[in-house]
Amino acid sequence: MYNRIRMLFMLATSMVMAAAWPALAQDKPRPGGELVFAVPSEPPSYDGHQEETFGLIHPVAPHYNTLLRVDPSDKTGTKPVGDLAESWTVSSDQKTYTFRLRRGVKFHDGADMSSRDVKASYDKILNPPAGVKSLRKAAYQAVEAIETPDAHTIVFRLKWPESSFLLNLSSPWNFIYKADTLAKDPRWYEKNINGTGPFTFVEHVKGSHWVGKKNASYWDKGKPYLDGYRAVFITSSSAQVAAVRGERAHIQFRGFTPADRDSLVKALDSKIAVQESPWDCVLMVAMHHEKKPFNDKRFRRALTLALDRYTASKNLSRIAIVRDVAGIQVPGTPWATPPEDLEKLAGYGKDIKAARAEARQLLKEAGVPEGYAFTFKNRGIPQPYEPLGIWLIDQWKQIGLNVKQEIVEASAYHPMLKRGDFEAAMDFQCGFIVEPDLDIARFLTNSDANYGKHQDKVIDELYVKQARATSPDERRKVLREFEKRLLDEEVHVLYTLQWHRIIPHSAKVKGWTITPSHYLNNQLDTVWLAQ
Amino acid sequence: MGAYLVKRFLLMFPTLLGVALVTFLLIRVIPGDVVELRYSGDRGAVSQEVIDQERARIGLDQPVWKQLGTWLIGMAKLDFGTSMWTGAPIWDEIRLRFALSLQVAIMATIVAVLLALPLGVLAALKQDTWIDYAVRIFSIAGLAVPSFWLGIMFILVLLIVFKWLPPMVYTPFWVDPWANMQQLIWPALAVGYRYSAVATRMTRSAMLEVLREDYIRTARAKGLWQSLLLRRHALKNAMLPVMTVVGVEFAFLIGGLVVTEQVFNLNGLGLLFVQAVSHRDYTLIQALVMLVAGIFIVMNFLLDVAFAWLDPRVRYA
Amino acid sequence: MSELVASLDVPSRSSRWIGACRDFIGRRPLGAIGAGVIVLMFVAALAAPLIAPYDPVAVDFAAMLAPPSAEHWLGTDAFGRDVLSRLIYGSQTALVVGFGASLLGATIGALIGVASAYFGGRIDLFLQRIMDVLLSFPLIILALALVAILGNSIPNLIIAIMVPMIPRCALVIRSSALSIREMPYVDAARAAGFGHSRIILRHMLPNVMASYLVMLTAFLGQAILLEASLSFLGLGVQEPLPAWGLMLRGAAVEFAETAPWMAIFPGVAISLAVFAFNLFGDSLRDALDPRLRTQ
Repeated sequence: MYNRIRMLFMLATSMVMAAAWPALAQDKPRPGGELVFAVPSEPPSYDGHQEETFGLIHPVAPHYNTLLRVDPSDKTGTKPVGDLAESWTVSSDQKTYTFRLRRGVKFHDGADMSSRDVKASYDKILNPPAGVKSLRKAAYQAVEAIETPDAHTIVFRLKWPESSFLLNLSSPWNFIYKADTLAKDPRWYEKNINGTGPFTFVEHVKGSHWVGKKNASYWDKGKPYLDGYRAVFITSSSAQVAAVRGERAHIQFRGFTPADRDSLVKALDSKIAVQESPWDCVLMVAMHHEKKPFNDKRFRRALTLALDRYTASKNLSRIAIVRDVAGIQVPGTPWATPPEDLEKLAGYGKDIKAARAEARQLLKEAGVPEGYAFTFKNRGIPQPYEPLGIWLIDQWKQIGLNVKQEIVEASAYHPMLKRGDFEAAMDFQCGFIVEPDLDIARFLTNSDANYGKHQDKVIDELYVKQARATSPDERRKVLREFEKRLLDEEVHVLYTLQWHRIIPHSAKVKGWTITPSHYLNNQLDTVWLAQ
Repeated sequence: MGAYLVKRFLLMFPTLLGVALVTFLLIRVIPGDVVELRYSGDRGAVSQEVIDQERARIGLDQPVWKQLGTWLIGMAKLDFGTSMWTGAPIWDEIRLRFALSLQVAIMATIVAVLLALPLGVLAALKQDTWIDYAVRIFSIAGLAVPSFWLGIMFILVLLIVFKWLPPMVYTPFWVDPWANMQQLIWPALAVGYRYSAVATRMTRSAMLEVLREDYIRTARAKGLWQSLLLRRHALKNAMLPVMTVVGVEFAFLIGGLVVTEQVFNLNGLGLLFVQAVSHRDYTLIQALVMLVAGIFIVMNFLLDVAFAWLDPRVRYA
Repeated sequence: MSELVASLDVPSRSSRWIGACRDFIGRRPLGAIGAGVIVLMFVAALAAPLIAPYDPVAVDFAAMLAPPSAEHWLGTDAFGRDVLSRLIYGSQTALVVGFGASLLGATIGALIGVASAYFGGRIDLFLQRIMDVLLSFPLIILALALVAILGNSIPNLIIAIMVPMIPRCALVIRSSALSIREMPYVDAARAAGFGHSRIILRHMLPNVMASYLVMLTAFLGQAILLEASLSFLGLGVQEPLPAWGLMLRGAAVEFAETAPWMAIFPGVAISLAVFAFNLFGDSLRDALDPRLRTQ
């Protein structure tokens, strides 16, 4: 039995290799068919500017375009390409971005799309009218002005150069809405759909499904390939697996567990294709810097030194949605930590015995006795919180700490973090674009998400420096400094393993590439179904 | 009789009001509110300003007594308002789920009654024989096996042995009876078994009681064919307590299948309730509890009415 | 009745006990089987450190998802922890929560029921309305809400399971107490000027003891079942502590096909325990109160 599982595991890994080259050149897209996919949660409202669940992106994104998007065929999800923008230029001081918009783009109601609509949409995001929220307004603080010299040109003027700006405009949330509609009722889009995207809206049956139909007059001639799609809302993860296994759904775009992948591959064999990628999500341990002994960085360092990350990577990746040992950025993406730098950080070395000996030594120096007990608060969600919690406690036990776990119900969890009602707690981070600015802003002293309440001016300065760096090399250098300070010198937080995104889908689904984020690449215009 | 019914009818209202008050207060004690939760998704970095704004919009900034007043007045007009999570009218959120839960409850009741009546009667007639023991073990086991675990085992066996997988979504019976039955028959069986255990035990003991009563002895002495007698006299009287158990269980099933719905992926009221609690969707939680408790309270009233109708002694009790 | 028993000349306490037990086994074999399983559970819970082959919380990646074998009789879970050892330690959780919740629930329920019957009138009407309100919430929903409010811990879990039991017990006890209220000796006690609390504690409570014990044993099984459901939902006992319902959560379902031992054995343990308590409870009811035979 054990061997069979191992074989399956290897089989699954080899399938990943095979699937790493989706949309092979010789595959000619076949038009037609309805893509059926499972969505684990349901959109509260329909307005992407105001929500932050992927449950909105998956069914709603195909109705819209954004100004830019990430290249749908790029596995790193970090290359901005035009969506409504046809081309763009950046001034030499990197403070003026000029976009040429596509012509002949129409909203689903027949109206022409122009630069006015793009400006109105961004105005809503940057300066929402009274009574309307905008969740990601803070990401655009650099924007000084948005101008529309003509109907097909839009210009963003910045106060300072910002290396993440193009990716920020590729945000999957920033749907382009119709200016006239917004002028009449800025909240119209909460309950209605009218975009320029590849699919038009058919129906949403609450607690059941969402249906989209091919937009016959889509500006990108020949696309979309599909006749339509059906998003089925299924909360239970075993039911999502059953839906794919019973070939009732082609795919679920968020991700499955390793166990699910193995059972799907075993049951469906060549009828299933598996795509995997490091996931732009990570669980960290927040340590309350105002509580003893967590105020002592020797103690915090001991906690990270105790973790045998490489062994865990091998074993936990069989039972939980985690895999890679990584720093502050997704492995394989432009700003990721090179392995030789990574190994120098505390707790990332390959010699676990030496690390744990050092940890015990540090505990002694910090005056923490053998068998010291504290409570670790974890979130009541099976994947990957609960397995990682069990693992952490086991690791800390090996340096003589006696840690008790308290599971906080998923919904009470965030308020608990915000109140600072913990000694050590699992903290989480998931990005909707793969970009350091987004992932590490939470470590700023004044960030709302600085749950451990550390105060570190150096971190704040390094953040600004990397954000405004004008050359990639310079930015890379500053990011490494930032990382060393955050995870090694000060150990403000402690990273566990990078999440691992596993999408086993019907082999019929073509033209879709996995990215490190479950928020990205869901417009479905390039997706088609093989016979 | 009239006075009894009026009194019994009026007694429903303080209970309903009590349920309303308890629910309203309880859920406001749970830490976190809908706004905080909505914006604490994967990043949880929304500014306080946005949170305050949204709280004001859905009326969470008002004093609690005012919120309570608004809600009670709305309820008196049978207007449950809109969901705090989605902004849609409550009834739109509930409709499809209610149909599903109701159907599972009805099917489970059918399963339970079909099992319980023959088994219960048989056990009573053959009291203290091996048949009686077998029936009792069967029914006690029904109470002992967690129905969610039974569900997991059902799914596993169906999958391994029959390669059968449940349909993805709920199809109402009137749209496609076959698809509908495929999805609901297994949960109905898993739940129905437990439910039948309660009913079997009640049938057995009610039958035993009735069989001991004098007029049955007289009837038996008159040489009536035993099974005919069972149907005519004994069953009718034994039905009263059995009916109570079946009715009460039925009312509970509509909202109480939280874990089973989870296991079988049924988008019913139980799962909706869990979601509503995890979203802190106060208005939806309130509406759901009032619906489920309301059904229970009305069901009890109807049972009392039926009792008074069938058994004149009750009216003067 | 209690006075009557006390005045009898009994040869020796222990032989009376043995005789009673023998009588119970002979007359009620099902109940005896139940009692046997319960005794086994107690032994497992008390002697867990002695009989469990492994540390129930020790992670062993080398033995992940191992099927039943000579080393691990019931296999291991996703962390390589021994399933049998976790089941044995899990009986502690089941018994603590089961007894804690049913004792509290039945006792508070009984007090309310007796008070309600004794005082009658407005107090009765008021208490009955409160009980009606509590009764109108489905069991699991009430427990769910309580856990959400109180947070996850074993004492809170006991409270969450206990609360829904109160009205169920109060109803039954009230109806038995109503008949006792009219008994001459209660009137006599009242006439003699005894206080309410004395009459309730000395005269009414002992006479509803049979119903109380019957309710208590009926609750035991239910409490264990409810604890399992809540733990399964992630709202009960917490990892890495071993508990039966918790063992069915997460990986047990994910790996149900490849490692079914993780899903099968804890379910069997829960069923067996509840089954035993129910068998025992039924027989106890028959023995204590023939009028109520197996309702």
